[in-house]
Amino acid sequence: MPIELLNYPQPNTYDELIDDQLQPRPAARALFGYLDRLGSAELVARREAVDAVIMAMGITFTVYSEAGNIDRAWPFDLVPRTMSRKEWDRIDAGLKQRLTALNLFIDDLYNDQRIVKDGVFPLEVLAGSKNFRAQCKGMSPRFGVWAHVCGTDLVRDADGIVYVLEDNLRVPSGVSYMLENRQLMKRLFPELFKSSDILPVDDYPTQLHDTLAALSPRESPHGGRPVIVVLTPGIYNSAYFEHSYLAQKMGAILVEGSDLVVQADDCVYMKTISGLRRVDVIYRRIDDDFLDPDAFRPDSTLGVRGLMRAWRAGKVGIANAPGAGVADDKVVYTFVPQIIKYYLDQDAILPNVPSWMCMYEDQREHVLANLDKLVVKPANESGGYGMLIGPRASAEERLKFADLIRENPRNYMAQPTLSISTAPTMVGDKLAPRHLDLRPFVLQSDRLYATTGGLTRVALREGSLVVNSSQGGGSKDTWIVDIGEE
Amino acid sequence: MLSRVAETLYWLGRYLERAENTARFINSTTQVLLDLPRDAAFGWDVLLKVAGLDHVFAKHHPQLAQADEDSIVSFLIEDEKNPGSILSGIHNARENARTVREVLPMELWERINSLFLYIRDNAARAKIGRGPRNDVLQGVIGRLESIIGLLVGSMSRDVAYQLIKLGRNIERADMTTRIVDVNSAVRLPRDPALASVATERMWISTLNALSAYQMYRRHVGVHVVANAVVDYLLKDPHFPRTVLQCLAEVEGCLSVLPDHTDSMRRVRQAWRRIEQMQLDDLKPTVLHEYLDQVQSDLGAIHTAVAKQYFHLHQQANGNGSGNGHGEAVGQIQAQTA
Repeated sequence: MPIELLNYPQPNTYDELIDDQLQPRPAARALFGYLDRLGSAELVARREAVDAVIMAMGITFTVYSEAGNIDRAWPFDLVPRTMSRKEWDRIDAGLKQRLTALNLFIDDLYNDQRIVKDGVFPLEVLAGSKNFRAQCKGMSPRFGVWAHVCGTDLVRDADGIVYVLEDNLRVPSGVSYMLENRQLMKRLFPELFKSSDILPVDDYPTQLHDTLAALSPRESPHGGRPVIVVLTPGIYNSAYFEHSYLAQKMGAILVEGSDLVVQADDCVYMKTISGLRRVDVIYRRIDDDFLDPDAFRPDSTLGVRGLMRAWRAGKVGIANAPGAGVADDKVVYTFVPQIIKYYLDQDAILPNVPSWMCMYEDQREHVLANLDKLVVKPANESGGYGMLIGPRASAEERLKFADLIRENPRNYMAQPTLSISTAPTMVGDKLAPRHLDLRPFVLQSDRLYATTGGLTRVALREGSLVVNSSQGGGSKDTWIVDIGEE
Repeated sequence: MLSRVAETLYWLGRYLERAENTARFINSTTQVLLDLPRDAAFGWDVLLKVAGLDHVFAKHHPQLAQADEDSIVSFLIEDEKNPGSILSGIHNARENARTVREVLPMELWERINSLFLYIRDNAARAKIGRGPRNDVLQGVIGRLESIIGLLVGSMSRDVAYQLIKLGRNIERADMTTRIVDVNSAVRLPRDPALASVATERMWISTLNALSAYQMYRRHVGVHVVANAVVDYLLKDPHFPRTVLQCLAEVEGCLSVLPDHTDSMRRVRQAWRRIEQMQLDDLKPTVLHEYLDQVQSDLGAIHTAVAKQYFHLHQQANGNGSGNGHGEAVGQIQAQTA
């Protein structure tokens, strides 16, 4: 047993790095060999170096409630999460399959709605969807693709199976932290990357650029380089760091709504020091609601007046397309296995977490009777807000939630409380198990691409299952390790 | 280049330069105090006047007359209520750099960020006494110099670079005139012998504040006399902090930017006026008028630049991103409104 694991408790769920005999799993063996040689004093010393490096690199995220101090250092754990390439390859295939089917589904919903007519997807679910945008009906974006960037949350249960927890199809964030985590690890442990077969992650910005470039409505402006902008709500957005980071890495231009204007020719222009310049593709990091005050919320100051008009006229590419969020709904989620079967005639490679839909009476009764065992989620929230973790809630909270469900059953779904997997994480000068998930990012336009691994988020509080950075989560570098398996 | 980004970069250059000059100025003033004869009157409030911050200070310190070294220096170094303090300037530079990280070299953000952390964490130490204050300010100056070095050594001479440089040189020329102007505010001792010593000390301090003493001695002479110093600091074409040299840099930056006719015309106008200044027999009041004229010419260049390049963006928002520098931004808004 490696010395770091002398005091490591017997895992009470699946541990990503350690097996039941407290031995490193194959993909983690080289890592523990290295940690052994490094010694725990040196490990602690490097952990102390991490915070200084993070502060110096200015890797931050923003918390709305902390006025006056708008950014916090990104909490990072230096023990990476490892996975074998063989296991990853299967997940990679599952992610691509899933996004392909979801895009066919979105395109269908805004056009013929065959899936509804064929009775596979109930009209009432569609009718209750907050993110179905009537303004998008009849549109068919290039390649039939609406969700060009998807962040898929994966968790592993005690049974060792990796499940899809949710699909983030609106403005998923976190990929910059995945990239920065790797940079951090290379800075802190340069020796490690020399000796192990850890697959690289850094081609994401290039892939994202090419995915977006394919959406350009103009053939070859400026010698073949389309003008791509990243549209951010501004510096106070929690993901501002990422918006700036991706623009920088792609050689794109970071813009705010006020930098853009739609002219009478339906084209989008940006205001530059030499006048107006046409924009071909907008990677928007603003929710639909705020995108265009003419089409959506009239009080929005973040967006661009007339943007929907420009998009509908085919004069600008927008990623993700307006309305793509219709499939980012926790009730729609429960239908994804049927959606994959319907459009691709395939079985889902990655299973969903078993779910109950409160809109159906029998399932709702089951949920209400078992609130103390279930996790209940609202259809359209993200960031872990507005959900009930039954086993940890008070009786009073559960009663309150039961009322919410009865008032608006379409808005809720429930899942069993998973015993999600753990990985060794540095706590003080020791390693202790902490729960984690994995968010890979998947791209689609004229191509399909998935990140190698993804962003591993870890709940730093003992026993906590909430990994969101806004609620005390941190992250780890994610290693897909080639251990020569066939 | 987006108009908003252009304005942010321009102010980034100005904020960094202003912070550096303020730090230099505090250090050189501290030095001259040690050398002045006892009865040479030197109020620390001169520093406020030079920086154009006496009104801001008075707003927060009603007893301006009793303001002492500690309160004035602390106001200039770390007071967040003072938009011209070193801390505010570096904070603004950092926020500006943050919003345009994508056009800057990666390491630049790290350097500015660590400079901000440095001044934030060391501002208290600067209050302990003159020695620690000097150390902290030297730390600030050294870091700022390394930031400029990084820009020069690792950034393409693209539009972004030119805008930072443009802001830096306009600010630098302005600060040079202000630092020269401080001498018109000092009351000299009555004894002529003492007065002559004091005058020389003050001008040496001026040269020191601009890191120009050594070059002055090499290129002008060992005797420090008012007329020669003023002539050198306004008109020397080779030293990097003289007004004419800054104007030459400004002209170089503008030549790379599009549609620069009007801004260029303003630069040449300022240039001609300085060349025509008669500095041989200089009275303090005339010097003060000359310097005022230069400052207003620099203001005109700023206004022309803002109108040409930041205009589109300001029309949309009615508000610049140059947070902090109230007067200048206010001026521009009045023009476009």
